[in-house]
Amino acid sequence: MKRVVSLLFIAALLALLLYVVANMPPMGDPENPTNSSEVIKRYLNEAEEETHCENVITGIILNYRGYDTMGEVTVIFCALAAVLAVLGREKRGKIYAYADRSRVPSSAIVRTMVAFLVPFIILFSIYTILHGEISPGGGFQGGAIVGGSMIIFTTIFGLYESSQRIPQKLRAPLEGSAVITFFIVGILGMAGGGNFLTYAWPNIATNLQPSVVTWLTILVEIGIGLGGAMVLISILFSMIREEEEIAVAP
Amino acid sequence: MAQNIVAGVFCCIGTFFFLLGTTGLVRMPDVFTRLHPSTKCDTLGACSVIIGMAVYSGWSWDLLKLVLIACFVLLSSATCGHAIGRSALKRDIAYWRKDRKEVEDGHGA
Amino acid sequence: MGTALNLTFLVLLVATALLAVFARDLLAAVIIFSVYSLIMALMWQRLQAPDLALTEAAVGAGVTAVLFVVTIFKTRRREEEED
Repeated sequence: MKRVVSLLFIAALLALLLYVVANMPPMGDPENPTNSSEVIKRYLNEAEEETHCENVITGIILNYRGYDTMGEVTVIFCALAAVLAVLGREKRGKIYAYADRSRVPSSAIVRTMVAFLVPFIILFSIYTILHGEISPGGGFQGGAIVGGSMIIFTTIFGLYESSQRIPQKLRAPLEGSAVITFFIVGILGMAGGGNFLTYAWPNIATNLQPSVVTWLTILVEIGIGLGGAMVLISILFSMIREEEEIAVAP
Repeated sequence: MAQNIVAGVFCCIGTFFFLLGTTGLVRMPDVFTRLHPSTKCDTLGACSVIIGMAVYSGWSWDLLKLVLIACFVLLSSATCGHAIGRSALKRDIAYWRKDRKEVEDGHGA
Repeated sequence: MGTALNLTFLVLLVATALLAVFARDLLAAVIIFSVYSLIMALMWQRLQAPDLALTEAAVGAGVTAVLFVVTIFKTRRREEEED
């Protein structure tokens, strides 16, 4: 009975969804309702000049709505804090070696391929982070890709190897780097004569402003990327640590 | 014009092999036979589609990216097939036989 | 043509969402959920939001799925029968 009711409900939702999509305004139509808003006009017309980002979305996220993004980054950090509060961080001294307890240890081919591919994935993520203001991508995406690559590495080589590569000593301080970078950039904006999170400092020469804006944007992207990657890696490590601590216990 | 036709033909070949592979994945009885169509469809289908896109894009930087994508697809799908097949073999998952009524799915093995 | 493609994606989206909810095997549910994320990423790309598509593909189909799989291996794979 419950199933029938929920199926009916979902079917009604489906019909509504399809109806709405069928009546969506066509893409790129100048008559679209979004084009009548003042804010969007400003974004579309001025964003490239004001934020010096070819990828307008990055400009909007990091520059116009920088304060908003700072809050989002804080939310990600809080998620990590919650996970660590429940599961606990892996203990550094306890994991001596990786004991592959699965019935089928990973073969040499898989190990070689993972060791070969992971550097390429990390390279791609660096490209995504640094190219964020020109092409689609940015800090969040790049950080998630680094996290994914380390997940692959950890599932094949175990927690010991990957915590050798990214030791806790290095990782723990970098987890908050996204918020810290945002904060530093905000304070720098205040020092430069503007408000909190002003990228174009009013106190410096006008011809220097574009490069300052670009470099600050890249700095924030790198901070978000590092922070996001470290947060994801820490969540994964704290999730799989127990098993290996048990595995190597005498 | 000819470029478009060649690109379309390659993409059609690719989607055809994807269709074959997916059909095989659904129709085949056990892990090992399922592995056979699914890895073939990954390599041949994806690579044909990529060749079609490369022909469509012509000489540009996109070509390099497509070639790289093809290389990574080839490497990773072959490795995937190897890992799944080896794991199934080492876990003694039963082969499918014609005389066996109940097909063992690998869950309980 | 575009509408037909959009409708196909939407129907697939709803179908995968339903399957992910009703699957008894939780590992299958996770895999279907990552397929859902992938279709969602294609949908974002069709709505000309490549940034979002990249995020969805990396986080939804990659990281979240693996974290779910780790959770399943720490707990139980089958959903308990309710009736």
